[in-house]
Amino acid sequence: MNGREKEEYLREYEQLKKKGKAFFPYAIMKDSVMFVLVAAVLVFMSLLMGAEQGPKADPTTTTYVPRPDWFFFFLFELLRVIKPPELTPLATVGIPTICMVLLLLLPFYDRGPERIPWKRPVASSAGVLVIIAMAYLTYLGAVAGDPAEIAEATEPQYEVGKQITAQSGCLACHAIGKSGVHGGLGPDLTEIGTMLPRAAIKRSVAVGPGIMPGYADLGEKDLNAVADYLASLD
Amino acid sequence: MKLPLPTRKSSSGNGNGNGNGSVETTEETGPSKAEKRANAKRAVVHHSAKGGTDVAGWVDTRVNGSGIYTAMLTRKVPKGTNWFYTLGSATMFIFAMQAITGVFLSMYYTPSATQAYASITHMTNDVFMGEFVRGLHKWGASLMIILIFLHMARTFFFGAYKYPRELNWVIGVVLIVLTMVMGLTGYLLPFDQRSYWATIVANNITASGPVVGPYLADFLRAGPDFSGTTLSRFYALHMMVVPGLMAALIGAHLFLVVKLGTTAPPWVKAARPKGARPVEMVPAGVPSSDDGEVPFNGNGSATNGSAPTNGSAPVVADEPAEAPEPESPEQGTEGEVNS
Repeated sequence: MNGREKEEYLREYEQLKKKGKAFFPYAIMKDSVMFVLVAAVLVFMSLLMGAEQGPKADPTTTTYVPRPDWFFFFLFELLRVIKPPELTPLATVGIPTICMVLLLLLPFYDRGPERIPWKRPVASSAGVLVIIAMAYLTYLGAVAGDPAEIAEATEPQYEVGKQITAQSGCLACHAIGKSGVHGGLGPDLTEIGTMLPRAAIKRSVAVGPGIMPGYADLGEKDLNAVADYLASLD
Repeated sequence: MKLPLPTRKSSSGNGNGNGNGSVETTEETGPSKAEKRANAKRAVVHHSAKGGTDVAGWVDTRVNGSGIYTAMLTRKVPKGTNWFYTLGSATMFIFAMQAITGVFLSMYYTPSATQAYASITHMTNDVFMGEFVRGLHKWGASLMIILIFLHMARTFFFGAYKYPRELNWVIGVVLIVLTMVMGLTGYLLPFDQRSYWATIVANNITASGPVVGPYLADFLRAGPDFSGTTLSRFYALHMMVVPGLMAALIGAHLFLVVKLGTTAPPWVKAARPKGARPVEMVPAGVPSSDDGEVPFNGNGSATNGSAPTNGSAPVVADEPAEAPEPESPEQGTEGEVNS
């Protein structure tokens, strides 16, 4: 906007304001109706769904699958969309940071005088696309299957390891066959036995390379069972 | 307000005739004096800068608040203001709800790794309406996220972030980030499996960031490992640091809203009076040349514009009509502190 356009806007705005209504009581009235509505929805949600309490936090057993609150699903799912491990930092920090900076500085690079949404095709379609992308990622996060079950059959001697693997939440980030998350935070484990020796698998599970948490707390016995099971996958 | 001219006339007449002690005049003097006082008082309340004898007036003389109050309430919202414009205040309403329910939750919560879970169980099961208040706080967080994003979408699609409201957009984006930080820090506090492991992952993600990532993660964890201190650190952030920042920024956000005014929907146009426009529009090349900055004087008119007719104009215009005349001695003793 150049000086002339700015002045024109201010003049137009002054006219609109003159023709408007007083904040009190008109705008206050609308706001109050909205308050009542919001409060009613909130009370209704609280009464209907309450606030359930999960099992107590226990750092030694990892039977719970990390899952953020729903409004972080889009960030969480972003990690699954970007597959190569070396690009993970881009998904975790890079893209959200770039988006935040773009959002923050919006008025400084979008300086055109036009305000009507259908006359700003670039801005409006970018906005709609972002909303669709966020909604889609949130939806993906909401329907992600229960990561505590592995459907794939295994030989009986690996059954214990399979149970521990499933219960430890590995499938929140990894895939094994058709179970778990495909293209998730961590690599696909379907054929991990052909890629890594058993000792390396065990070490990885215990230490947790990269952003993966370590599972040394499982104990030697369970770690061995998990390593045996994973090494059998081919 | 109506003009108190007749009263004044009769009262001044009575004042002169009072020394004669005639019955009718004294009878007349009583009501007229009272009326005068009432008028003076009303005037004092309205023009608080001059002082007053009542409590509201006393306070107002010292803080000069009624000017702000009148400016906020009598300001006009532009033509076309619709329900989309309630999203911002609704978000603030939820913030206030979160603050209130949060205070009550903090009365029963113990921010220690060993006792946090038990204190949540206690407040959910034993405390009167405990689960209800927890529910309000928990679902209030979700509602606040929804409302603040809707509010941002409205601002975006209406082009309301453009001149002269750029700064308020920036404050708003920071408020969204802080709201998300509230969601993240609050998620750990119930200290159940879900919140514990989600926070571990969130921390590992933070640590994967470039340059400052590992340091930020260490700061959040209060050390290289997740511990009891992590919980109390999240508690302090969730209880004091972030809400304090948010309250301050909401204040700044509101200040700018009142000062700059809310936008009208972009497709609503003021029908212009013919002829008034082209002549005044471009003032012979004064500011429009360089950076194109037009100072905003808070009334929705350019500084080099015409007469100051704006939202607060009627109040100013009333003043001379209502002002009590300081000529009579009774008026002078009425508590008028002329400064």
